[in-house]
Amino acid sequence: MTTVLKRNKWEIWRDVIFALFVREIRTGFNDKFGLGWAIISPVLFIFMLAFLRGKIGGAETHTLPTFTFMAIGILFIQSFLQTLSGAAGAIRKNKTLFAFRQVQPISAVLAGALFALLIKAFVIIGIIILMYFMGMDLHISNPLLLLACFFLLWLLAVVLGLLFGIAELFVKEIGKVRELLTRPLFFISGVFFSLQDIPREYWHFLDWNPVLHAIELTRFAVSSTYGSEGVSLEYLSGVVLVLSFFSLAIYHIAWKQGISR
Amino acid sequence: MIRLENITKYYPSRLGKQYVFKDLSFDIPSGHNIGILGSNGAGKSTLFRLLAGSEYANKGRIITDLSLSWPVALATGIHPQMTGRENTRFIGKVNGIADIDEYERRVIKFAELGKKFDLPVKSYSTGMRPRLAFACSIGIDFDVYLIDEVTSVGDAKFRRKAKAALLERSEQANVIMVSHEMDEIRQFCDSAIVLHKGELTFYNDLEQGIAQYQAL
Repeated sequence: MTTVLKRNKWEIWRDVIFALFVREIRTGFNDKFGLGWAIISPVLFIFMLAFLRGKIGGAETHTLPTFTFMAIGILFIQSFLQTLSGAAGAIRKNKTLFAFRQVQPISAVLAGALFALLIKAFVIIGIIILMYFMGMDLHISNPLLLLACFFLLWLLAVVLGLLFGIAELFVKEIGKVRELLTRPLFFISGVFFSLQDIPREYWHFLDWNPVLHAIELTRFAVSSTYGSEGVSLEYLSGVVLVLSFFSLAIYHIAWKQGISR
Repeated sequence: MIRLENITKYYPSRLGKQYVFKDLSFDIPSGHNIGILGSNGAGKSTLFRLLAGSEYANKGRIITDLSLSWPVALATGIHPQMTGRENTRFIGKVNGIADIDEYERRVIKFAELGKKFDLPVKSYSTGMRPRLAFACSIGIDFDVYLIDEVTSVGDAKFRRKAKAALLERSEQANVIMVSHEMDEIRQFCDSAIVLHKGELTFYNDLEQGIAQYQAL
């Protein structure tokens, strides 16, 4: 006899998210390179860009080693973009699974987002190992702030992904709009420059962007001499909080109709 | 009993809302193996998906204390790049099976895929996929199995086996199925629901239902 367990809502969620997560690991990278490629490719990309920029732009940028400066920028923007597209794409990708009434779109989003987080954790480890062998300084002056920034940025990507994913159930073309909208983020989020490089009277063009805040704050967290003028943790967390509420509210009213189309 | 209360269901389209059901109330009685009969596009699969909780009605609700399977269609929830075993375990986990290993053994025994059970599903033949899908669902003890044309692609042996499995469970479980083949309906069902123009009619006697359906 195969008995079905009586589970409460949380246990169903836990089981479903775990099952989807494992499925993601199993099917996400099905070629011969496998999962390793998802880690090696961004590590190499970050290393190349950061290394080249360091050669061209001098050893230090605002008291931070240029390599560290660039590595943080690219790592964070990549985490943001990949988590966002992973979370938003998870709903469409797992659409056939919503035939099981236990599987809800938000479980798919969370599983996709956790998967992206796992990959990025390994990428960070890879970068740290590289930096160690290059003999670079691995000192972090405020590790808690760094973790907070990374987590908040991840959360921002997840709730935006949830919002886009639900919207894409209703209007498929929103997926294309999302790709278009996120493309400039690579250039306006302070990946290649610091906010301090920009004349103060133009800051208002850039400082609405929470991703910029996360990246600049992280650099500040690594080295307190870098400074945190113009960016604030309050703004970043405020944006994340408001967007989380908004996104969950939209999800709550729309998901049932979204998968019933 | 499965009670449908004031169900309204439509699909949006370029030509406005396409209504499948308008304010439908109906009780599906327990203890019958029911074949759902209706012409193409009458809403059989929609009804199935609503019952299973795969989709939700625009208005109204469905009340039941029975445990229903997911709509077992040709390859619901089966990922072509995962192996049969991985798919089985995934379905087991999602449905909250207590002993997944035991469930896996049951599926292996029923699906008879042999070594192919450890190969990706995309390498399966057309007949093997539904066998896996059906085995995954019959391996779980539901009160009602919702079967959507799965048995029609199997060969005679598989059908016999499916029939035997459902008979074995018929004390506790029933089946609601959709098929366009009357022979198949006759094989599995004893009563019928005719679905016509968004209205449901229950016929205790299957033959009467079939006659009514064919007269439409």
